[in-house]
Amino acid sequence: MHPAPVDRLIAELGKLPGIGRRTAQRLAFHILRSSDEDAFALATAIREVKERIGLCETCFNLAEGPTCAICSDPRRSRELICVVEEPQDVIPIERTGEYRGLYHVLGGALSPIDGIDPDDLRIDELVRRVEAGEIEEVVIATNPTTTGEATAHHIGERLRDRVTLTRLASGLPVGADLEHADEVTLGRALTGRRSV
Amino acid sequence: MRVVRVAPRSFRNLADEPIGFGPGLTVLHGPNGAGKTNVLEAVFFALTGRSCRTRREREAIAFGSSLARVEARLEPDPGDDGEPLTMMASISGSEARRRLVDGAPAEPGDDLRRPAISVFMPDRLALVKGAPAPRRAHLDRLVAALHPARAGLAREYGRALAQRNGLLARARRGAEAAALSAWDRALAERAEPLVAARAAAAAALAAPFARAASELGLDGSAALAYRPRTGELDAGGIAAELAARRESDLARGFTGFGPHRDEVEVSVGGRSLRRYGSQGQQRLGLLALLFAEREALRAARRRLPLLLLDDVMSELDPERRARLVAMVDDGGQTLITATELDHVPAAAAGLAIADGVATAEERR
Ligand SMILES: Nc1ncnc2c1ncn2[C@@H]1O[C@H](COP(=O)(O)OP(=O)(O)O)[C@@H](O)[C@H]1O
Ligand SMILES: [Mg+2]
Ligand SMILES: [Zn+2]
Repeated sequence: MHPAPVDRLIAELGKLPGIGRRTAQRLAFHILRSSDEDAFALATAIREVKERIGLCETCFNLAEGPTCAICSDPRRSRELICVVEEPQDVIPIERTGEYRGLYHVLGGALSPIDGIDPDDLRIDELVRRVEAGEIEEVVIATNPTTTGEATAHHIGERLRDRVTLTRLASGLPVGADLEHADEVTLGRALTGRRSV
Repeated sequence: MRVVRVAPRSFRNLADEPIGFGPGLTVLHGPNGAGKTNVLEAVFFALTGRSCRTRREREAIAFGSSLARVEARLEPDPGDDGEPLTMMASISGSEARRRLVDGAPAEPGDDLRRPAISVFMPDRLALVKGAPAPRRAHLDRLVAALHPARAGLAREYGRALAQRNGLLARARRGAEAAALSAWDRALAERAEPLVAARAAAAAALAAPFARAASELGLDGSAALAYRPRTGELDAGGIAAELAARRESDLARGFTGFGPHRDEVEVSVGGRSLRRYGSQGQQRLGLLALLFAEREALRAARRRLPLLLLDDVMSELDPERRARLVAMVDDGGQTLITATELDHVPAAAAGLAIADGVATAEERR
């Protein structure tokens, strides 16, 4: 129907989450109408994230290079690790300004019905970091959803007696995602964490 | 909130004309087959997207049509601070149901804006005489109506249960049951508050149920009791019990212990109404249950549910009809069907139904 490159662009945009065929079409025509400068900036930005951004070898947060900005910051406390499900969960915790330790990004949460077992998450890597010695406290900040809670319990079982374990204190509504929690609630949850 | 009007289109035998309802009690009367029950169903459908008569909503599409829809207009009661609301549901032969609230696709929170609905229909007798699952679901809906903040407990528990069952089913097919004890704890932590919420709701129901049953003439002391499968156990105890039953759960591939096995027992004179009650007693039991819920909601200062009572009068003697009418005369909205207007001994608004056409009548 459209020239092949346009159809290709529509097909690629349509693969994005939440973008149906109609929206993909609208976006494609928006890009066609926009200036060369804007369109190429978008293309470059996409290329750049794929070429330059990977996962930190230590904490699996997003990183430009082998180590992320947080792991390589000498002012961060090396005794404290905060465990989150996804890289985007780091951002709200950083925004609270309450947390000065490091992170560990699991890459998801346990979910048997989706076939996600402990082996599919970076739990062994977390245990190895703890075994390496420097860490004194692990704060489990998985989402207060069913899958996040089960993941927290499992990590608790794996690390019990090796390190002080805390869970973000209440304040997060049950079933809510960390990503959507507001800063005040999250700050309170961080300062009032409880042991597990 | 009350329903001021529904506008059906190609819904059962109803004419494509708006039907208005007053506040308080409205009596829908007309001969058998006129469409009285269809009007109640249309109201329920507009507000929920489901039928209160059948699980196959498509049966409601008028013969020869391809799409049925009903739009309901709701307005706040005097002194109520809600905003007027339009709820629409449609179903077609080829597509999924659609629900719109004020023109936008319905979201889960929207159902908190409309009144809860209590339905008495002969086929709802399953609630009293059938398996425990619908009684649990019914109790959970009451929990949500009494305490909206607790509405998610049953859903959260259901999610955790589905996950643990998923793990067990995979283990049965030979996979490793990795992290099962973490799921025991996640499930137990969601079981404890659910059991507590159900117990509280059932406790609020017990006395009004006994009272309504005796008012309606269910002879012998009627009682309603919540029987949690987990007894008095807290989350720690439930997790321990799940761990102890692990082998049999793994063998069966699903979880055999927890609030998904709870029972709500309704008895008369100490005997299970479900097992030993006559059809007439079961009907009265269901009616008493609906009135008890209404009482509990009122005591909790919640909005009264919209009552849809289909064909309740035919089995009651004149004295009990009068009592029933007195019980609904309490500020809530009630739609009641009867073949004879005389069966409803009250100064109520009437809607004459004939051949799918509703005609409003002056108040008697
Ligand atoms: N899908 C449908 N399309 C048209 N008419 C229907 C449909 N389903 C049921 N009916 C008709 O509705 C009438 C029954 O209406 P109902 O509300 O049950 O009567 P009642 O007034 O006795 O409660 C019957 O005449 C039946 O043929
Ligand atoms: Mg009928
Ligand atoms: Zn890092």
